[in-house]
Amino acid sequence: MRSRKRMIAKVTGFCFILPAMLVVLLLLLYPVMSSIFYSFTNKNLIKPAYSFVGFENYAKILTDPVFWAAFWTNIKWTAASLLGQLLVGFTGALALNRIRHAAGVYRTCLIIPWAFPSIVLAFSWKWILNGVSGFLPNFLVQVGLCATPPQFLSSAGLVFPTLVFVNIWFGAPLIMVNILSALQTVPKDQYEAAQLDGASAWQSFIHITVPHIRMVVGLLVVLRTIWVFNSFDIIYLITGGGPANLTQTVPIYAYNLGWGLKQLGRSSAVTVLLLLFLLVVCALYFRLLNKWEKEGE
Amino acid sequence: MMRKKRRLRRGWLGDVISYAYLTILAAIAAFPLLWILLSSVKSKGELTGNPTAILPKEITFDFFKTVLGQLHFNVNIVNSIIVAGCTTLIAITISALGAYGVVRFFPKFGKVLTRVLITTYMFPPILLAVPYSIIMGKAGMMNNRAGLIIVYLSFAVPYAVWLLVGFFQTVPLEIEEAARVDGANKLQVFGKVVLPIVAPGVVAVAIYTFINAWNEFLYSLILMNSSDKMTVAVALKSLGGQEVMDWGVMMAASALVVVPSVVFFMLIQKKIAGGLAQGSIK
Repeated sequence: MRSRKRMIAKVTGFCFILPAMLVVLLLLLYPVMSSIFYSFTNKNLIKPAYSFVGFENYAKILTDPVFWAAFWTNIKWTAASLLGQLLVGFTGALALNRIRHAAGVYRTCLIIPWAFPSIVLAFSWKWILNGVSGFLPNFLVQVGLCATPPQFLSSAGLVFPTLVFVNIWFGAPLIMVNILSALQTVPKDQYEAAQLDGASAWQSFIHITVPHIRMVVGLLVVLRTIWVFNSFDIIYLITGGGPANLTQTVPIYAYNLGWGLKQLGRSSAVTVLLLLFLLVVCALYFRLLNKWEKEGE
Repeated sequence: MMRKKRRLRRGWLGDVISYAYLTILAAIAAFPLLWILLSSVKSKGELTGNPTAILPKEITFDFFKTVLGQLHFNVNIVNSIIVAGCTTLIAITISALGAYGVVRFFPKFGKVLTRVLITTYMFPPILLAVPYSIIMGKAGMMNNRAGLIIVYLSFAVPYAVWLLVGFFQTVPLEIEEAARVDGANKLQVFGKVVLPIVAPGVVAVAIYTFINAWNEFLYSLILMNSSDKMTVAVALKSLGGQEVMDWGVMMAASALVVVPSVVFFMLIQKKIAGGLAQGSIK
């Protein structure tokens, strides 16, 4: 009788999670499998017929210097953006956690970028940085910092740092808000005790603050690394990978193969490689996080 | 609490630096929104003639008239509302059931689930773009809003489940047991007891889902190519493709897209931020 009741409970529970599981299976796992399948074919965007080509797509990609350039740009893009986002997010959170007046007003202003649709982000920054009638280039000339309006989005030396800046602008608020809510969980009496023991502000920071927020920051870094590495919109919409492929990352490279050259099969192979790379990086990250978790216990 | 805070030794210099730093950051964070709004009401001559003037000499709504009257942006706004609205309704129903099911019936499964959801987060959007375009093409659902909604569920559901698990974990089991004793079945307990308790959290997640669907760009770009079916994000993109860019029109259209996003986000940001941090730890 009891086991039957338990059976019923299990079945009811299963009914609750069934729709969500179907979504994950049909809309995520199935497409990923089909992407792996197409990566071994010469599937074209327009022609319906295709045939198997074995590892040809992978061989072509891995010997393409443009792919490796895109991969390297992608690593630089991710590392620079993430470092900047963490630095701004972390210092912003510390400052927000410290002040006692107008914290709500500052917080509200600071999170505006988070809500920006990528297309509006692209348009607004393209307009602000526009080399002819944009605000910033003309402002820099007006205050005497530059002789001629700097071409932020078309000069080879400026375009990459400019994109990274825009990405930091966009991503720092999420990091800041999450670190802030982690900071607020640190018990205040620990700081007081440390102060009574004569610890300096720096010592309190290293021995109380850092251990408390380490897990949150670690997970944020994992999630944001994946997200920034995969991000397509910002670069595609601001520069499209140009000038001269200088800002082309792997997702842009895959898009150009699939929708520019119509080679969906090869484009699939690129995205499968991208996923494999991320899986390896994440496995390493999670090992580190597990170690921290054990140390924390 | 306040008294405790005051006992802490604090330097005034640190305060000054904090306020100054936050003021600079806030100005940079808010500037693009401000600039969109200001540019959208300036006149054409002023936009190009005086690029560094902050305030408009005279306010005109000509650009908005062009966007809505000639470009029929209202059609795209309606498309976006339909797509984002349906995505939200379906995703939240599926996710609320799923998150509750996990918390109440398979608690040990929770940790595995988090890992699975993080793995789905790892899938590059561009990886799914190829199969989606093939599948939707085969199914004859290109340029179809229902097709886009189905695709949007793929990212909306895992994310919503993840956030909602955190909210459902706060509901004490005793309340549910009391209702069970009174003879309510599991679905009634869920609908009449649990859901009202977590309603504020569910609403916040729903709004967040709506914003993400409203902002989405890549799948909409790939699946929708006739201008009467496009969502606002893609319709906006097509404005930028003209030979001579009309920045005033682009800024007015941008304002129509970004303002609802920002306003809704302000309303829910505290709940979402807390939920994100909680959900990511558990």
